[in-house]
Amino acid sequence: MALRVQFENNNEVGVFSKLTNSYCLVAIGGSENFYSVFEAELADTIPVVHISIAGCRIIGRMTVANKNGLLVPASTTDTELQHIRNSLPDNVKVQRVEERLSALGNVIACNDYVALVHPDLDKDTEEILADTLDVEVFRQTVAGNVLVGSYTALSNRGGLVHPKTTIQDQDELSSLLQVPLVAGTVNRGSDVVAAGLVVNDWCAFCGMDTTSTEISVIESVFKLNDAKPTAITSTMRASLIDSMS
Amino acid sequence: MSSKVDVKPKTVRIYELDQFEKLLKGIKVAACMITESHQVVDEASVLKRLRALTLNGASDGNACSCCGVGPFDSRAQQTAHYKNHWHTYNLKRKLFGKSPLSLGQFNSRRCEDENDSSVSGSDSETEEKSKNPDSDLFAAATRHCKAFFTNHKGQVFCIYRCILHHKKEQLSTDGEGTAWVERCERLALPGFQRWAVLMVSGGHFAGAIFAGSAVVLHKTMHSYVTRRGQGQGQLNRDQHGNAPRSAGASLRRYNQAQFLEHVQDIISSWTEDLVGCSLILYRAVGSLNQGALFGKNSPLNRDDMRVRALPFPTRKPTYKEVQRVHETVASLEVYDTMELFQKALIASTSKGPTKVNQEANVERTKKQKSPHKPIDRAKSRERAPRELPTQVMSSEDEGPCFIDSETPVGWIKTLSEQSSNGVITNSRKDLLNDHVLKSDHSDQSEPEVPEVKGVKKKKKKTEDKPPAKKTAVKIPDNVKKIWKIISSSDTTLEPILEELENDQLVVACNMADPKDGNTALHKAAIADKPDMVTQLLSAGGDPCVKNHQLQTPYAAAPPTTRLAFRMFQAQYPDKYNYNKSQIPGPVTPEQLEQERERKAQQKRAKRQRDKEKQAERNKTNKFLSMTDSQKVKAVEFRCFFCGTQLPREPFEYDSYQFCSIKCLQNHRNLRPLHKSA
Repeated sequence: MALRVQFENNNEVGVFSKLTNSYCLVAIGGSENFYSVFEAELADTIPVVHISIAGCRIIGRMTVANKNGLLVPASTTDTELQHIRNSLPDNVKVQRVEERLSALGNVIACNDYVALVHPDLDKDTEEILADTLDVEVFRQTVAGNVLVGSYTALSNRGGLVHPKTTIQDQDELSSLLQVPLVAGTVNRGSDVVAAGLVVNDWCAFCGMDTTSTEISVIESVFKLNDAKPTAITSTMRASLIDSMS
Repeated sequence: MSSKVDVKPKTVRIYELDQFEKLLKGIKVAACMITESHQVVDEASVLKRLRALTLNGASDGNACSCCGVGPFDSRAQQTAHYKNHWHTYNLKRKLFGKSPLSLGQFNSRRCEDENDSSVSGSDSETEEKSKNPDSDLFAAATRHCKAFFTNHKGQVFCIYRCILHHKKEQLSTDGEGTAWVERCERLALPGFQRWAVLMVSGGHFAGAIFAGSAVVLHKTMHSYVTRRGQGQGQLNRDQHGNAPRSAGASLRRYNQAQFLEHVQDIISSWTEDLVGCSLILYRAVGSLNQGALFGKNSPLNRDDMRVRALPFPTRKPTYKEVQRVHETVASLEVYDTMELFQKALIASTSKGPTKVNQEANVERTKKQKSPHKPIDRAKSRERAPRELPTQVMSSEDEGPCFIDSETPVGWIKTLSEQSSNGVITNSRKDLLNDHVLKSDHSDQSEPEVPEVKGVKKKKKKTEDKPPAKKTAVKIPDNVKKIWKIISSSDTTLEPILEELENDQLVVACNMADPKDGNTALHKAAIADKPDMVTQLLSAGGDPCVKNHQLQTPYAAAPPTTRLAFRMFQAQYPDKYNYNKSQIPGPVTPEQLEQERERKAQQKRAKRQRDKEKQAERNKTNKFLSMTDSQKVKAVEFRCFFCGTQLPREPFEYDSYQFCSIKCLQNHRNLRPLHKSA
């Protein structure tokens, strides 16, 4: 399911939050409103953690994350890093990287298995990325843009890319990433899809301006309609067996 | 207007009605002003694509369009390609609008490019410009203070935007641009020729109301409010605090107040005349001057759509200037053909701030800001090569002293010599003295110093000017001999290295080949001869020297030879400063042995795992080959359908057990007879 949210009257929710399959990060903000939407949707499955990076709230653009790990830029303070380590599940690796392109979220797009990165990204960063997030790393551009992180929203089930990506490029990227991709927009025509949308395998949050058409595209490409956190083998088991025998 | 444009544009004034109306026939907005209609992602096409995706899953268009490499046979091949340097390089070329290189071209050009890094921002930007004149023209046209139109004769003419629309109303440029045409045609109507021009600056006021070209009303006045000696208006000066209390200052303050009052009086007396004006153009820079025009009780309202600021700088407000400004604003430049116009437009925009008109050439903007390049963050930028400072700790408490690329090479030389002899560097002063002494007689004893200098200079300068010193260096015979042996099939350098004396030896080992900058150590490394590498290192070949491709010997070496460097570092950790040699760290033979052992162990473990897996598979197959009744009686229970091991709480029906609901369902569907149970 895709939900509409706002961060203090700002529609770029991807800037102020980061969503993965095993945890969710939200910016420390003045109002609880933004945070409570995430909490209501996610709290019984994954932890929702409030963080800041170098005292800033633009955590979605500064960090890169998936279910295996989290990379934060060098500007992150020690206390912030400690707080992040304490709040995340133990199996999530947290790593600080020295990288010239410090807005990691803008230069890296990833799901749990693959990552697209800016062609100029440091070799060392690429290695750390592959180790910490456990992904295969490819240097690519999206619609002639080097900021792949800003123009791509990825999950394990699908991806949304810059609206001007050609069909050929979409095919190429989707064969590289091994997920279906479509070109589209969020927030009533905004092409910075990653800034307007955060997504994991079973839910998505997008800006308040997002139209219903955009939502329907998002829900079908990320296959959110039939998605549930896996509860089949635990809670639903008894009733299923009853109905079948 | 650049002087290079051969044909000067004709000038037509708006109030010369017959000419203006002739011009307006068949008017259209010029193509360069039109944007493509807003690109909206087409819902139908997206949905179609989505449907195709759900049918086929992730698409298999697995070719790299950037490098033009055809469909890959396997996933491994595909991922390997995308991790290739070649791909990254082509990706960058594509970003700068260049065609991709084939693999062969890439390999042959690699050497050159490492020197001049052709994918740099500067040179390719010009290329890009010439490639895409259309978008360039559009950018220039939309930024321009004039709007452009064409008519039925194919003439192009420019009108100041400020007389067409207020800054705050945006006329849409999508599609036909009918809004623009409408505004332009309206100018020819008789009621729209009545304009007011008001200018206030530095105690001068000038204003006039024009009907067509005729002046209906005009007024100028001046009072003494600016500080002639130090410049700046008196009130501006006072705002900085600490207001001067001189007689002149108070006079000017008084005059300023009087001036404001007068200007406001004049404007309010013009109230009725201003109502009839279709345009009120003003120039008033700063809050003081604007206050004079729009202050309290003023009939002018800043939100009024008729009130518009002049789009160019003007001179001191006088009657003459007001007339000139009116004439300038009302004039249209007419170019006979599109080409002429485009040339003029590009020329004017590329020269920074444009001169407003021919008459306006006299006025000069004093502080012309340098037209500095806007940064395009969507493009990758070149990284400026910067060398790391070499850090040397001095034994005295001066702290670390840094040696950067500007430091004379002699210093570094002496440093490395001293440290290699086991003498610890004393202090900076000693170094300095040392260097002075050395440089006196360096000509005879050290032929390689100018050589190294030459290389350094070369790094800073561009490639097209090879330094003169480099060609002058002669390569001694013994060095040539060493190189020859390296390139031959021999495996040892012992005999020739023993022939040379100690200081000669160091020189010979570090002598760089002028062709590619390779030292003997580079050559040995590239030739894949680990024994020679060890011998050269112990003879004094510096592993930090870089060749023309900026590779250290270690970086140039194939993996088999790299080990020799690391083992040497383990053996002689203090012989060189390994920081800049790019050697990742020392390796002792014991470590190597351990590593090998570990790998063997891993392999064994893997084999063991494989064996276990195979056994498991066998068991599964055996279990599956039994009939259901046999399965029930079997010693070990497995999933009756797929044969995998059962979870703690298996799913079951009739005493059949399954690992998942799916298996259960499938099993049931296969055996409809049992359903009645």
